[in-house]
Amino acid sequence: MIGTENTAVAEALVKEYRRGAETVRALDGVSFEIRHGEMLAIVGPSGAGKSTLLHLLGCMDTPTSGQLTINGRSTSGLADRELTRMRRELVGFVFQHFALLPTLTVAENVALPGLFARRRAQKHADELLERVGLSHRRTHRPHELSGGEMQRVAIARALINSPKLLLADEPTGNLDTASGESILSLFRALNSEGLTVVLVTHNEALAKATNRIITLSDGKLVSDLRRSE
Amino acid sequence: MNPWLSMSIRNAIRRKLRTIVTAAGVAIGTAALCSLIAFERSYQAGIQGELDRLGAQILVAPKGCPYDAASMALHGASWPCYLKQDYLARVKASAGVASAAPVLMNAVYDENSGAQWVYQGVDPEILALKRGWRIKGALPAANDECLLGATSATRLKLNIGDKFPLPGLQAGQTGTVCGVLNTTGDADDTFIFTSIGRAQAIFKRPRQLTHILVRLKDPNMLDNVVADLRGCDAGMDMNVVPLAHVFHTIQDLINSTRILLGCVALIAMLAAGAGVSNAVLMAVSERTSEIGMMRAVGASKTDVFLLIWLETMSLCVLGAAIGIAVSASTAPALERWLRSRLPISPESAFVHLDAAAALLCLALAAVLGTVACLLPAIRAVKLSPVEALRTGANSG
Repeated sequence: MIGTENTAVAEALVKEYRRGAETVRALDGVSFEIRHGEMLAIVGPSGAGKSTLLHLLGCMDTPTSGQLTINGRSTSGLADRELTRMRRELVGFVFQHFALLPTLTVAENVALPGLFARRRAQKHADELLERVGLSHRRTHRPHELSGGEMQRVAIARALINSPKLLLADEPTGNLDTASGESILSLFRALNSEGLTVVLVTHNEALAKATNRIITLSDGKLVSDLRRSE
Repeated sequence: MNPWLSMSIRNAIRRKLRTIVTAAGVAIGTAALCSLIAFERSYQAGIQGELDRLGAQILVAPKGCPYDAASMALHGASWPCYLKQDYLARVKASAGVASAAPVLMNAVYDENSGAQWVYQGVDPEILALKRGWRIKGALPAANDECLLGATSATRLKLNIGDKFPLPGLQAGQTGTVCGVLNTTGDADDTFIFTSIGRAQAIFKRPRQLTHILVRLKDPNMLDNVVADLRGCDAGMDMNVVPLAHVFHTIQDLINSTRILLGCVALIAMLAAGAGVSNAVLMAVSERTSEIGMMRAVGASKTDVFLLIWLETMSLCVLGAAIGIAVSASTAPALERWLRSRLPISPESAFVHLDAAAALLCLALAAVLGTVACLLPAIRAVKLSPVEALRTGANSG
């Protein structure tokens, strides 16, 4: 199943957590693959395992059992150092609460992952800010921006290391409708340039705007619907 | 500025009041440590230097406190009791004594100028001890001749050959400048030297001395000479003080001060370290979600540790710099306070902060910062990105 046309391949993924004396199975035998250039949504009720799956796809955690391969590399059993390198090189993250550092300017926030990758990223950060229409805000602090602007900065930050996979956790959850639509347009534009985009969302409109919807419930994959082009 | 450092400094000053209080703790600790180091280095060097410049290994003084005697001989004062001049011959006769210089010292208050003047009656033997002296002119030989210390000559505006009324003495007492001493850097600069006979006449102490400075043929003979002088008939009236022992005893006497200051500095530094650690721990706790975000976008554990270490360092270096400045600016006041309490203190500044001491304090503050950041940094490094983000989402 692991082919070069896939950005991610999940096979019988299981993720268990300890909560006190109890073991919680957050993902229970989930299998799917994400092709290069796909844009898909992961939906489901709270507690379905959406965020857990996103964390596994983002190399922030490893599965308890099963196999997850990102860009041809299995994440199972990888040391923290290797997972960090994969996050840095392969994945871009967009958070619901934007997660911008309040002490940094917009341009510095965008360049931050470049700093961790030991790259001079300021020029690229300026290009990305131009791309998301915020070059005039580059010296501003996050608290001076609207929610939509902050999320666009967060998207620019996620793109700074040229990732193969863009992961977004409820990217419009904190935005008004107009800003949400603007962010969706940005995701569509990035996807149309070949970037693989995975959205975790409760927002039906956002999910329907993607090409594929994976539905989770109680840690199981209950449906995987592809929209015909 | 380096982006890592810039980010750390900006994080450190996010909570201004907390940063000020934490840096103040480091500043107090560093100031205490700096003052202790400044005192340690300068006091020992000052006392040792003065004893060396005295040129004697043994001080023979009237019975009484040997440390008072050493202090008076070093700095000049009116002595409360006197030695018979006849004892000089007995001291000179002791095997092992190379030179013995008699001195009659007295301090007088000049009502006109409000200054104190110290007169020392000396004889040519003094040159065998004060080998560092450089005299423009000559030692006093004739009855009215005076040798002036460099500072005295400047204050009195006198040159060789000038005749002048002896300051602080009754009208009619005059002297002629026969020589001026080059600057020595100790109390000799402020003295007025006459012949022994003239001093004895002025202060009405015929055939009396305040002390005798003794230089040995071989410093290893110190114990033998001291035993000999203490055991002789005149030994009952003489206080034979080995100056090396005085130095060590002074060190022992001020040990309690040093230990007290050391404890204050140590406690202050430990308290500052605990304060820094607590402040950074709070910062890490408040910024858990930010740490999670940084880990998610590619920060390694080393990057997180580095950021927290730099943040702690910026707090400690800021505090240490303030502490060093405080220590340097309060050094004169501390010195005045110590001078009034120590049994003996050198003429020169003895709470003197030099660049090496300041750098040492800065380095110690850096070590303190490194130790203080370990607990919060390890806690931050151990956070899994998922847990950190979840904590942030829940608190948000």
